[in-house]
Amino acid sequence: MPQLILSTYLFVAVSQAGLRYAMGVNMDKVIIGGGQGFWGDSNDAAIHMVRNSNINYVACDYLAELTLSIMERQKLKNPQTGYAKDFVGLMKEIGKIAYEKNIRIITNAGGMNITSAVEDVSKTLKKQGVSEGYKIGYVLGDDITENIPKMFEEGFDFKNMDDIGDFSEIKNKILNANVYYGHEPIVECLEQGANTIVTGRVADSALFLAPILHELKWKEDDYNNLARGIMAGHLLECGGQGAGGNYQYDWRRVPRMDELGFPIAEITNDDLYITKAPDCGGIICEQSCKEQFLYEVHDPANYITPDVNVDISQATIAQAGDNRVKVDNIKGNPRPDRLKCNIGYHAGYKVATYLSFAWPDAYEKAQYAADILMKKMKRKGLKAEEIHISYVGLNALHLGAADMNPELVKNMNEVVLRIAIRTLTKDEAYKIIPEISPLQLNGPPGASFFGGRAKVQEVIGLWPTLIPRDAVKLTSHILEVK
Amino acid sequence: MAEVYLKDIAHGRSGDKGDTSNVCVFAREPRYYDAIAREVTVEHVREHFGDMVKGEIIRYDVPSLNGFNFVMKHALGGGATHSLRLDSLGKSIGSAFMRMKVKVDG
Repeated sequence: MPQLILSTYLFVAVSQAGLRYAMGVNMDKVIIGGGQGFWGDSNDAAIHMVRNSNINYVACDYLAELTLSIMERQKLKNPQTGYAKDFVGLMKEIGKIAYEKNIRIITNAGGMNITSAVEDVSKTLKKQGVSEGYKIGYVLGDDITENIPKMFEEGFDFKNMDDIGDFSEIKNKILNANVYYGHEPIVECLEQGANTIVTGRVADSALFLAPILHELKWKEDDYNNLARGIMAGHLLECGGQGAGGNYQYDWRRVPRMDELGFPIAEITNDDLYITKAPDCGGIICEQSCKEQFLYEVHDPANYITPDVNVDISQATIAQAGDNRVKVDNIKGNPRPDRLKCNIGYHAGYKVATYLSFAWPDAYEKAQYAADILMKKMKRKGLKAEEIHISYVGLNALHLGAADMNPELVKNMNEVVLRIAIRTLTKDEAYKIIPEISPLQLNGPPGASFFGGRAKVQEVIGLWPTLIPRDAVKLTSHILEVK
Repeated sequence: MAEVYLKDIAHGRSGDKGDTSNVCVFAREPRYYDAIAREVTVEHVREHFGDMVKGEIIRYDVPSLNGFNFVMKHALGGGATHSLRLDSLGKSIGSAFMRMKVKVDG
């Protein structure tokens, strides 16, 4: 059990929403939408959903595995950054109307700078005139970067979950260490009547489980229900991907993809339905839900989350109406003793360069250019950890599984040579950059350079490990907008 | 027995966790489930991907969904930003998987 310290509540005025909860109005059905699939996602579906559906909650996921490391880099350059600023833009659009409709918003947009994100959201809400009684809840404590050296000194080994490497090799290169925690501190904020809750690295699905558990008053050992809440979140946390986006089954028949709606879950003690807002594009059907259901799950009988170990090995998904799907037979088992911690570390540099070639013999010319570049790099003493050569238009995506039928390859209209290198130092990575554009005049015919000179990027490695729950001190807070 | 692309009888999606790629595969119609179970073995997947997948491959069967989940370790060229691949998150591993040739009745 993480230690939950319900800390200083700055103000205690009771908002309209808070009053409703204080009066103990029971919900027997929770309707919750997924408003964002990642940092950089479109706001359109979330705006549509808040305006046009009867949701009680919208949860917005901004954090992929690497996002926090990128945010930490931003914050090192500018201490006011390090969170998903996009969320503030979204709040400009939906903050007021969500408050008026009593829709509560939960997000992990706080990233590596939760308090700045909260201040920014607060300012934005104030400008919209939604200050009276509005409460922003937030959760601190997932960032344990500063504790790592001490824990290591005390003998904690940070064993890599993928069984690679020794932690001592990366311990001096750490950027950030963040723990995936569960629903509890979000529930604490909800109990205090928070209208919007901003977190860092909570598990994506806990953003959804928290309000569902809170409203339906589920107990901590009600494993089957916890698992149902987690899977509702799992079906929603990738936004459009749960409603016909990235849909292999029949992408041509997804209606109005330009107005793609995001999925909405309706959950009670008995049923879980997935649907979407009225009057938007997208599709909710058996196949669209199935593709998202096992997405990024490993063992379906033991999908581990901080809240519960989920068993979907016997689950069923069935059409239950137009854009409406029913999900059943989700089971749960007690949660794991330890929490996952992802440690981001500096792991060198990389650069990717491109040069395009056209018919005739486009591929042969591109290969020849690659050969020239490799000879030059050898002569200039390039020290690369890894070099990856591929041909966009032929095999850059499917790699070894691509169709290399000689007839097809010979007749290609065009192909783009892509050379990517990974190095220990920035200077090494830079060596290849000035060599690309000269090949327009100095190499095989018709080479075309585009996009300007390539830029060297930092490589951030991820070190997943498991840590004891009591190594994390999570605290819930409320800021009242005034 | 006719030979078809897996995409003709199945659909699915790929995802990433670190350097691990998972591909879920569902029969387009329940009648194809047995053919997928028979044809898309771990050995066949390993042969299909060759060097692209350097680690263990595990298949989980989920008959209640007419589906399977394939977990492929060390499959993304290092994962995260280590990977030098254009598709470092393996978004297209799902369609690469569906290029597999399988035998079906009729």
